[in-house]
Amino acid sequence: MRPEPMIPANLEAAKPKSIPFTELEKLSPGILPLPNTVQPATGGFEKMVTDFVGEVTAKQAEAANSVNGLMSGKNVSLHQTMIAMEEASISFQLMVEVRNKLLESYQELMRMQV
Amino acid sequence: MINILTGIDSTSSALNAERIRMDVVSQNIANVNTTRGPDGKPYTRHQVVFEAVLNDQFASTSPPGSRPLEVRVPRVELDRRPARLVHQPNHPHADANGMVSLPNINMYEEMVDLMSASRAYEANLSAVKTARSMALQTLSIGKR
Repeated sequence: MRPEPMIPANLEAAKPKSIPFTELEKLSPGILPLPNTVQPATGGFEKMVTDFVGEVTAKQAEAANSVNGLMSGKNVSLHQTMIAMEEASISFQLMVEVRNKLLESYQELMRMQV
Repeated sequence: MINILTGIDSTSSALNAERIRMDVVSQNIANVNTTRGPDGKPYTRHQVVFEAVLNDQFASTSPPGSRPLEVRVPRVELDRRPARLVHQPNHPHADANGMVSLPNINMYEEMVDLMSASRAYEANLSAVKTARSMALQTLSIGKR
């Protein structure tokens, strides 16, 4: 029988406490706030992501249009439709990949100990 | 517009051109025994002409020489070879000597053309497939 690991009676007390920013400021003046020298353009990153999602949506719409055209007997060839669908699919996968990366980096940040 | 499958425009135009070629060849095969057309003459063999054209979309952005060239079928021409003359006196379209003008179509030639069109189409399809798998492989770069 293995010995029980030592568990402190008060679990809450054992957890690392988060230090408020104001306290940190007192400890080491100048560490906070972050030097905000590089001011991003208004809505820079958000706009980029939104534009990208818009592009992917446009590709999807293009593929849907192409399928509609083919099905309703318009002058759309089969290979054009297939290529449009393939492009839509790949750009969607790219979007999912980007989303995964973003989420991963967010979680990485949240795991970071302060 | 993001360009996911680069170089696909040339391939797409080639697929289109080969499909037109296939259509023309099957039209020739269908009319191999047609002795009267809309103009009152026997059917004449058609053949496609391919032409490389610059893709207008990239004409301004990319340097000369690297612009993708597309294929198109500017026109379908008539084969100038004479009609086949066959002696068939009982044919309704036979002339005074009992000779019937049949189209200048050689079935073997058409079959070879058909196979060649189909193979060229296949080759372009593999180009599409390769472009697709390259894109998918690239997407899996960061995967663990």
